[in-house]
Amino acid sequence: MENAPQEKPPLFSRWATWYWLVAGVLAALIVFFYLFTKHYS
Amino acid sequence: MSFLDWIVLSFTLLAIILYGVWKSRGQKDMDSYFLGNRAMPWYIILLSIIGTQASAITFLSAPGQAYTDGMRFVQYYFGLPLAMIVICIAFVPIFHRLRVYTAYEYLEQRFDLKTRTLTSFLFLIQRGLSTGISIYAPSIILSSLLGWNIYYTNIFMGGLLIIYTMYGGTKAVSYTQSLQLAIIFTGMFLAGWMVMHLLPEDIRFNEALHVAGKMGKLNVIVTDFSWTDRYNIWSGVIGGFFLALSYFGTDQSQVGRYLTAKTLTESRMGLLMNGLVKVPMQFLIMLIGALVFVFYLYFRAPINFNQGLLNQVHNSAYAPQMQELETRFDSLALVKQGHVKALAAAMQTSDDNVIGEAQRRLQATEGEADLVRDSANVLIKKVLPGTETNDTNYIFLHFVVNNLPKGMVGLLIAIIFLASWGSIAAALNSLASTTMVDVYKRMVNQHASEAEYLRMSKIWTLIWGVFCIAVAQFATGMGSLIEAVNILGSLFYGTILGIFVVAFTMKKVKGNATFWGAVLAEVLVIVIYLLNIVSFLWLNVIGCLLVMILAWLYQQGERMNGAIRK
Repeated sequence: MENAPQEKPPLFSRWATWYWLVAGVLAALIVFFYLFTKHYS
Repeated sequence: MSFLDWIVLSFTLLAIILYGVWKSRGQKDMDSYFLGNRAMPWYIILLSIIGTQASAITFLSAPGQAYTDGMRFVQYYFGLPLAMIVICIAFVPIFHRLRVYTAYEYLEQRFDLKTRTLTSFLFLIQRGLSTGISIYAPSIILSSLLGWNIYYTNIFMGGLLIIYTMYGGTKAVSYTQSLQLAIIFTGMFLAGWMVMHLLPEDIRFNEALHVAGKMGKLNVIVTDFSWTDRYNIWSGVIGGFFLALSYFGTDQSQVGRYLTAKTLTESRMGLLMNGLVKVPMQFLIMLIGALVFVFYLYFRAPINFNQGLLNQVHNSAYAPQMQELETRFDSLALVKQGHVKALAAAMQTSDDNVIGEAQRRLQATEGEADLVRDSANVLIKKVLPGTETNDTNYIFLHFVVNNLPKGMVGLLIAIIFLASWGSIAAALNSLASTTMVDVYKRMVNQHASEAEYLRMSKIWTLIWGVFCIAVAQFATGMGSLIEAVNILGSLFYGTILGIFVVAFTMKKVKGNATFWGAVLAEVLVIVIYLLNIVSFLWLNVIGCLLVMILAWLYQQGERMNGAIRK
């Protein structure tokens, strides 16, 4: 493995964007599951 | 199983073993054996991470869990994406910079040898025991299906996978996991499609979901808080976060997967993609279980899904009583069929009163049927004292074996084997690497040749394989296997995570403080579990916090002692 913690991520310019994307998708999934539970219960 | 099923099953298993052996030829040293020469791309890392976590238990127990308890188990995974982010930020860069073989090597550099050894031992105990349960999971399938002796089945199951794991090391593990997952996802998709296909023609997907929802099986989000409730959004996000942080950040079976990446970026991308796909994947697996529940509202379900147990009762003096209970259960099933049809019809009216009335009737009959099931379980225990009557692990299997077409059954059974092999192979590889790097090479023999280390690595893979098979022989009577593995993990993960959190964030705390803090924390976690004070997911949080607090207090005590002496 290369010793390069400063490596650029794919697609975005910063790793922080990837982290926000993962957290955002989780939040969206929880909202979807909440509506799913309410709708079918 | 039909002849065609046997052909499909045998061909798939043999192909995986040969593929693993072929892909991993040419091992020269420990670096190639345990880290695959650090050359894996991110998508292999991703599939390997998923394959390591998703065992046969995932595909056997999870749909059964949705059948019995609803889909709320999905919440258990909510902390996972957040943990992936923290691991990418805090853990992975350090492991890469130090070029470690195992996560525990870092602890000697940060603290001392005894803290590294303690953490390695906690990992070895926990992972060795859970891997034994993971061998037992697919063995119950063969045992139940073919009437084979469970003990010989464990040996057969574990023995086959030891062949390619011992021979090929981490490369064999990673590449076979990729192929295994491709087959698994295809099979699970087909199984889900078949459930819908087998429902009555007038029940479409949306109606099936409404029926499952009215019966409380689509409870994906539970917002009520309780310390003792296993699955709600709070325990899922907070407890699940700590569990996932510990599992992916400090468990060598997972750390060993992303240490094989060719760059830091490849490691991070594999972990982040896991954070994106894991929750939806688990949701879909559990949705299959909820649909299987609807299927068994329309068609006859057995009084207990473990056919092997029922056969033994039918061959005992209690056979007439069981026959009587089954007759009662079947008559209630007929009543249920009427009620579920009425509920489906009521939902077309959109009249809440009519729907509510139909729902109450169906739930009342389901409650009666559950009482009859309980009576049957009491009877089973009379015939087979000490036997586990919980049939959660057999529900999906029963559906597959009795309702899917020829060939598909063999494929689904093969999938359960492959899923199991994927996680067990990674676990054996990590047990061997920790034993070799943190114990053998560090404390027993520091100056052997690379060839000798490679030979010993293979021998330790074999030894751990035999140990896990031995554990599997005692795994009967553990209820839901997925919960058993998670509870076992939670007993140790909090402490292990606490040691790493102290290492990363509490720079003034030294080795002695961390070591004794961790020992005391582990004892307290086990006491809390035995007293049944909180649900197991919280043990991860408690263990981690206890290590941090106790280590800090110990360090303060040492500092004060030092000041007094001066």
